[in-house]
Amino acid sequence: MTTDRNVETVRQAQSQMETPPTAVLEPRQDQALLTLAQGGDMAAFESLVNLHQDRVYGLALKMTRSDADAAEIAQDTFLSAYQHLAEFRGEAAFGSWVHRIAANHALMRLRHRKVVAEAEGQLSDPEFTERGSLAHYPQSDWSRRADEKVLDQELGEAIQQATDKLPEGYREVFLLKDAEGMSYEEIAQIMALSVPAVKSRLHRARLALRETIDAFYNEK
Amino acid sequence: MFNCKDSIDFLLEYLDGTLPETEARQLHEHLTGCFPCIDFLRTYRATPKLCKRALAKAMPEELAQKLKGFLRAKLEKK
Repeated sequence: MTTDRNVETVRQAQSQMETPPTAVLEPRQDQALLTLAQGGDMAAFESLVNLHQDRVYGLALKMTRSDADAAEIAQDTFLSAYQHLAEFRGEAAFGSWVHRIAANHALMRLRHRKVVAEAEGQLSDPEFTERGSLAHYPQSDWSRRADEKVLDQELGEAIQQATDKLPEGYREVFLLKDAEGMSYEEIAQIMALSVPAVKSRLHRARLALRETIDAFYNEK
Repeated sequence: MFNCKDSIDFLLEYLDGTLPETEARQLHEHLTGCFPCIDFLRTYRATPKLCKRALAKAMPEELAQKLKGFLRAKLEKK
């Protein structure tokens, strides 16, 4: 019986893995506005900006941790989008395309900052015994807290700080995948990494952030 | 037979559904008998969702107005 319940739990956990949200917002509305904007309708382009500015700004702010940089990246992103509007053929959704432009601008700024990458060893991983068993059993299953309506403000701050502390290269991968919903292939392309390298960094970043959240709930 | 460390090493690909069949079977076998790893898997899976909520930021209204002004000024020159 116990084993059957465990099997079911594992299946549920697998099936509940979030799907990337990139495609969710992409609707006919974008397509109609895009067609008008490509014909020179400035008001239609402004409507597209209104629809996507929060996600573009949010991505830029998360990546650069700077209000000023995020504001400039939003400007540069929509200006680039407008300038290349005629070349946009709709192979991808408009939102994904703009998002990718924003990610490129944000990464360029980070490279210009010449931030020295912190050692990978600073990522906190779970501890194991010599036999490879978990050294510390999780004291509570806080996974359902992710669905609560209101997010604990202290937890939000702890996550923000832990994300900021992720080594450069790991933080960007985590943000682009888990916060922004980009595909592994897109991230690999814009960060000049292999897909396995992207997955490896994402896994290490998730483990480190899981440790932070676990500590928050267990020490509270 | 996988231990906890092996299982956790492969969690990302397991949850993505991209882990090769042999490894997926071994990991699944470990999980069916290891409660700590099940809790670990659940919380690992919840981590991106919690982080995404914690990090969500909307553009401040004042900034949205500035962006609109900037784009109008730039694009009307063209």
